[in-house]
Parts: sequence; structure tokens; C-alpha cells
Amino acid sequence: MRNRGRTAFIVTYLAPAALLYGVFVIWPVLQAIGFSLFKWSGLSSKKTFVGLDNFKQLFHDSVFWEALLHNAWIFVFGGGAILIVGIAVAHGTQGEGRLTKVLRSVYLFPNIMSLVVVAILWEFVYDPHIGLVTSLTNLFGGSHASAPGAVVQNTSILGNPAKALPAVIITFVWFSVGFYIMLFSAGIRQIPQEVAEASKLDGAEGLFRFRKITLPLLWSVGRISVIYLVINTLNVFALVFLMTQGGPDRKTEVMLTYLYEQAFVNSDYGAATALAMANFVIVMAVSGVVLRLTRKDPSGAVQ
Amino acid sequence: MKRAMDSGKKALTTLGLIVFTLAVVVPLLWMTLTSLKSGPEIFASPWGLPAKIHWENFSHAWQTAGIAHFFINSLIVTTATLAILIPVGAMAAYIFARYPFPGSKFLFGTFLGGMMFPQFLTIVPLFFLMNSLRIGAFSLYDTKLGLTVVYVAYSLPFTVFVLTGFFQTLPKELDEAAMIDGAGHSKVFWRVMLPLAKPGLIVVGIFNGIGLWNEYSLALVLIPSEENRTLPLGIANLVMVEHYQSDWGALFAGLVIVMLPVLIAYWIFREKIHETMLAGAIKG
Repeated sequence: MRNRGRTAFIVTYLAPAALLYGVFVIWPVLQAIGFSLFKWSGLSSKKTFVGLDNFKQLFHDSVFWEALLHNAWIFVFGGGAILIVGIAVAHGTQGEGRLTKVLRSVYLFPNIMSLVVVAILWEFVYDPHIGLVTSLTNLFGGSHASAPGAVVQNTSILGNPAKALPAVIITFVWFSVGFYIMLFSAGIRQIPQEVAEASKLDGAEGLFRFRKITLPLLWSVGRISVIYLVINTLNVFALVFLMTQGGPDRKTEVMLTYLYEQAFVNSDYGAATALAMANFVIVMAVSGVVLRLTRKDPSGAVQ
Repeated sequence: MKRAMDSGKKALTTLGLIVFTLAVVVPLLWMTLTSLKSGPEIFASPWGLPAKIHWENFSHAWQTAGIAHFFINSLIVTTATLAILIPVGAMAAYIFARYPFPGSKFLFGTFLGGMMFPQFLTIVPLFFLMNSLRIGAFSLYDTKLGLTVVYVAYSLPFTVFVLTGFFQTLPKELDEAAMIDGAGHSKVFWRVMLPLAKPGLIVVGIFNGIGLWNEYSLALVLIPSEENRTLPLGIANLVMVEHYQSDWGALFAGLVIVMLPVLIAYWIFREKIHETMLAGAIKG
């Protein structure tokens, strides 16, 4: 009775999802592997098999390495700041009070906004004429700019090769940190009340308690956060593309903005796909290394 | 002495939280305030309150800058995507949750794997695929239909993941009882299970809806024409390409128009959204 038409039911109910997913996700993934082995400018429909030449070219491409380095800076400085601020704020907003709950929801605002809005908003925040940063620096002793004869500093932050990447990283942190606060808050909530209280009774105080009790118990959430940071910092695109287009002078170029340029400006689709594959492999490799390095947590428990 | 130190620490924590909260909120408030100011005011007093509220910035953005058109495109694409995604995702999730078959674990794993692939891995093949798929004389490239179909496909992994978990929590006795009453597999799904899964469907809908409303990268590659531009593409184009800085107030009003629907939806469903994000982040 129960098996009547079971197979037909399974097939018809899975088919739409499997078809859409297969055609628009799985098939392009497989094609990407093939694309990366050809020299191809798209229009001519003339594909030449070049084996691993696209990858060799990539490894000799200084722009690729520069882009990768910028991704690494975003991971180190942006990711580092996110972890520190994320843990600190989650630690500071513990409890289920009304205010702390509202605050945690507010911290997620930037994260649920479109990156387009975030990028444009921060372009204006950094704008030399109307931006908040300029008026802030003027407020704190930047008044010499208005001294007679002084040249009013009008250079934009995002146009400055030394300041553009740090400025983008700050925006990245502003956009992302709420998500990690949420993760760490959930991690802190998982710490059994008894452990927290027992440590209090034992006289474990402040920073000591934080280091010996809170931090080890946050280990598994911390691992997940670092994996997310690896993925999100190596896959930065819209923020950079919209704020600086990789400039000035490629000083904010990241892997995916370079991929976009190779594919949709230079029409070098083989090279672009090779870059996409390299990006994916790097993300996987770094994630694997992070998981291995953090397998044992400092409290001695094996994950 | 100890108490003084404790209260000192508490004050420091509070101060830190105030500074952090301001850092999050001030840019958003500034954007909203600026959207209500006149052009000269924006330059003269970036921090000041508007002397008079300039609602006309919003009508300028809506009409003159063409935001209305992009808004409608986004509404069409987001709604159409959800209308296909929810039933298609729920059907697959129901099978994964209740109808194990040889290879179903592997297939489920393949679906979840999609949450790992970065979109840019497939962007070049996808670009050509959309150019080559044709309906009559037209390719799917640069059409709202094409974008919708791609959005459905790329939203499926997360949707199937969440809904499978949801169906697994529903008591098995319900569908068994309905089957004994003589209802077929389909009838049980549409009449019994789907109504019970309504809370899960709503969360998945809101969550995906926010992401789709905001989506930029796929649309950037698949939609070149102004005609089919979605809201994020449209506003980005105003700033980056057309340099619409002649009317700053309207530009900021445009940003507020993109942000507001999402913020409202988020605020209403924030508890559920947090749960879903955490479930996806930690178990996924």
C-alpha cells in the first residue's frame, strides 16, 4: 500500500530541483575545469587546447600575486580585527536582556544590506568634500587646513595608493563583523551555566577567566569563524569592484576583481577560468590547513 | 577596592560598547539624514540636521533617476524566484527527509556541496551557457527570466538544506496516518506536510528574499541592459558609470530606497533570521 507509486513520486518530486541544479550549477562547475585548459577569446568560437598553459601563465603573472597578497592582507588585518571585535562585543553583550538583544540585532544591520549600498555609502564616507572622515579629522585638530595660505587637503582616501586598501578593509570589517558577533554570542550561550559559575566561585576573574574558561569553550565556534573568514576574504568582490575597481594602480586589486577583468574586459576566458579554479583550490587548501592546525584545542579536548 | 575595580571595568565595557554601536549606526544615520537634505546643505554641514526635510529627493530618485524602473525589475525577479524556489525546494527537501532511496545521501551531499562553491567558479561557463540557451530566437542572457532561473538554482542548496531539517522535525505519525486514510504520496505532501511546514517556508522565503533583493555579482554578469537592470545594478550604475553626483540628495535617497525594504523585513523576522543563519553557519 505504502509503496504504491513510491519510485515515481520520488523521481517527479526530485526532478525539478535536480534539473535546475544540474544544468546551472553542476554543469558549469564541470565546464570550468575544461575551460581552464583552453585558450579562448569567446567571440571567435575558436578554442585551442593549451593544457596547463593558463595555469603556468597565472603563476608568472605578477598581477595575480599582487591580488593574492591583497586578499591575504584583508584576511590578516580585516579577519584579525573581526575576530577581536567579534569576541569582545559578544562577551560584552551577554545575557538575554532586552537591550542586549536589540543591540545584537542592530549589529547585523550592515550584514543584511546590499553590498552595493555599503560600498557606495562608504565611498561617500571617505569623500573629501562631504565625507564623515574628513570632517572628523578636521574636528580633531585638522584646522590647520584653513590657515591662511595653507592648501586645503582635498585628496580622496580611496584615490591614495597607501590608504585605499586599509580603507576597504575597514569597510569590510564594518560590513561583516555583525555576523561573527552573532556566532560568538551563540558560542558563549552554549557555555554551560555551571562552568561559568564554578569558575567564578573558584575565584577565576576577568581576563584570567576569559582566557582559561571562555576562550577554550569558544574554540569550535572560533574554528568555524576562521573558515568563514578564509572563504569571505579570499572571495571579496563587490566591495572592491564598486569602491575602487582595484585601483589606484592595482593597489586594491583582489583575485576576483582581476578575474572579472580578465573575463569581461580582456575576453581572456581561459585565463579567467584558470584563475577561478586557482581561487577555489586556494580557499580549500587554506581551509584545510586551518582545520588541521586548530584540531586540538588548548584545553586539551580533541574536537 | 575590588568593587571600585569592578565598576571601573564595567564602565570601560559600557564605553567600548557605546563606541562600537556608534560606529555601526552613525554611517547609517548619516546616509538617512543626507537623503533628506538639500544639495548645498550636504556640503555646508555634513553632520548637521536638515533645516527642512526635503522629501522631494525621494521623488527625484524614484522618477528622474529611474529608480522606479529598477525597483519593479527587482520586485519581479525576487518574487518570481521565490515562487519557483519554494515549491521546488520543498519538494526535493521532502524527498530527502522522508523517502530514502539508494544514493539519496550522495545526492543530498551534492546539493549541499553547492553551498561551498564560490559563485565565481562558474561565472564564465554560466555566462556562455546563458548565451547559448534559447527560447525561440532569444537567449536567456540579459533577460529577467534567465536571471530568475539562475537565482533559483543558486538558492536551492541552502533552501533544501534548511527545509530538509524542518521536515525531519515533523512527526512521522502524521503522514503515516494520512496514508492509511488512503491519501496518495502527493496528497499527503500538499495537504498535510506543506501546511505544517509553513513557518519553515516563511523563514526560507524571507531569508532568500533578502539575499536576492541585494544580489549584485550574478546580475552584473548576466544583465547588461538598462531595461532589465535590478535595483543594486541600477544604483551602482548611477554612481559608477553615470556619475549621478549632480543630485546628491536623490542619490542618497536611492540608497535608502534599496536598503529600507530589507531592513523592515529583517526587523520583523530578526529572531527567526538569526536562528536560520546560525543553523546554516554551524551545522552547514
